Amino acid sequence: MTEQEYLAALSQILSDILGDDSIALTMDTVREDVGGWDSFSYINFIVAVEAEFGVKFRIADVESFPNVGAIVKAITAAPRR
Amino acid sequence: MLFNSYSFIFGFLPTVVIGFYILGARRREWGLAWLTAASLLFYAWWRPINVLLIAPSILINYGLARALEKTGEARPAFARTILIAGIVFNLCFLGYFKYLNFAASAMNDAFGTGFVLTQLILPLGISFITFQKIAFLVDVQAGRVSRFSLADYGLFVLFFPQLIAGPIVHYREMMPQFRAAPCRYDPENVAVGISLFFFGLAKKVILADPMSPLVAPLYARAAAGGGQSMIDAWIAALGFTLQIYFDFSGYSDMALGLARFFGIKLPVNFNSPLQATSIIDFWLRWHVSLTRFLTAYIYNPMTLSLTRKRMAAGKPIFGGRNTSLPAFLSLLAMPTILTMLVSGLWHGAGYTYIVWGLLHGVLLCINHGWRLARPRIWPDTKRYNVRMAPVGFILTFLSVVAAMVMFRAPTLSATLMLWKGMIGVYGVTVPAAVFSQLGELAGWLSAVGVQPAWTSGSMLLTSTVRIGCLLVIALAMPNTLRILAAFEPALGVKPDRTPSRLVQVLTWVPDTAWAVGLAFVALAGMLSLGQLSEFLYWQF
Repeated sequence: MTEQEYLAALSQILSDILGDDSIALTMDTVREDVGGWDSFSYINFIVAVEAEFGVKFRIADVESFPNVGAIVKAITAAPRR
Repeated sequence: MLFNSYSFIFGFLPTVVIGFYILGARRREWGLAWLTAASLLFYAWWRPINVLLIAPSILINYGLARALEKTGEARPAFARTILIAGIVFNLCFLGYFKYLNFAASAMNDAFGTGFVLTQLILPLGISFITFQKIAFLVDVQAGRVSRFSLADYGLFVLFFPQLIAGPIVHYREMMPQFRAAPCRYDPENVAVGISLFFFGLAKKVILADPMSPLVAPLYARAAAGGGQSMIDAWIAALGFTLQIYFDFSGYSDMALGLARFFGIKLPVNFNSPLQATSIIDFWLRWHVSLTRFLTAYIYNPMTLSLTRKRMAAGKPIFGGRNTSLPAFLSLLAMPTILTMLVSGLWHGAGYTYIVWGLLHGVLLCINHGWRLARPRIWPDTKRYNVRMAPVGFILTFLSVVAAMVMFRAPTLSATLMLWKGMIGVYGVTVPAAVFSQLGELAGWLSAVGVQPAWTSGSMLLTSTVRIGCLLVIALAMPNTLRILAAFEPALGVKPDRTPSRLVQVLTWVPDTAWAVGLAFVALAGMLSLGQLSEFLYWQF
């Protein structure tokens, strides 16, 4: 998958969670940029991403992803289950 | 030593700041060591024995962190054991001082004796310090802390601006600042620091403290089993909400300002929470650093592990709009309520705090549930946001105010008395002195059941006027973070992209007008220092 495809998939997951179809994530998007993307829906997003891509993030990484790009990189780097 | 005392403002603070600039200009290490020593003195001021309690705890935590760092990646199972031992040690330390008495007195309750809060033997700020230490150990184990010495760790734990009542800071956001801080006089830091400090002082002593004697008798009456007239019950609820609001807001501003004197920016802790349009929003604005801690170290790990287990069992997980009820209950409702229960217990060892936490947990669940269900009922998100924001604001405001009663009322039954009063169970009375001045209106009021009563009319007027003024400030004014946004008053704060007119007018600039204005604020604050009063959050 390309970076763009990952971003499209992540945007779709987040749109489903937040009930907002206008979300378009970029590599530089941070949580504050997206209306309603609070810490509570963040964890739901992370788990949905894990399920979608069959990866498992470390809890420490989950806490410290600086932006969406870091999540994309972690997905590509993570071992597949 | 209280931030709002003459000995702090005229003695401790200038001495520490000037000493820091002089020593720090020679050698940074000296400046930082001076700051650590001053912080220890600050902590020891009330009861020197406190230092004997905190010092061993710092050393033990430091030792554990070192051990964690060494075993680290090589032996993850052993590192986990050390981490758990560390967390258990810190929780036991907190538990001994904060909860043992409560557990004992809860037993006493069964035999009919009243229970006594444990504040008397509680080492200051222990709840804040404990959480911060736990976060540090977790961060070391997770590899989020690169290098640290005993001096670094001591300063991180003891740094006096945030020692007693937060914000709860992370090592990774503090230590790089301490390492990079110039440790010498910087006019911008002093100007911003002094402004934040005196804004905070004024909020505390001019806005918050005078509410205390107005609401105290109302809570005492409720505790004694007396029903309150609807007006009195609302004064009690709103009055205390505003008292704790400005108390904590003031404290948070002062902490930001004090840290800034040393070139340190603390994280945002308080961001106009009464303007929130949902309970979720409220918790992202009130005591932000606690919400952040609870989310990162309790809620997220719990949800993550529960969700993975559910997924492994082949059950549906949390899927946004398509979430099933069982998934919602087990993956969102349960962790949320448990987390808020911890939050309640953390605030105090007492039934009222526990129920307060549970109540907020339930409110958060309702909020989350509605967020999921709403798009099906009302698909037009933009329209919904515009139309329903005022409704969200009113519901949130009422919920927060009602829940705050529990924070102040000494017992659950007193809380119930006040809640009943708020919905008019004990009728509506107006002081006779006021009633007689109402003329024709009095007749109308009598017709709907409003009674005159022999209560103080001037007290009612004072309370109403004060509550009105404080509400306007809390709901309509930009906060200090916005006013000082151009100078990053707290970590990560940036100026608004499109500031409102009010923010534009009130934007802080280092000019003569602001200097004169602030001098008046400072003077007014210091002249009101008469009776010393502790910060409400220092008891937690």
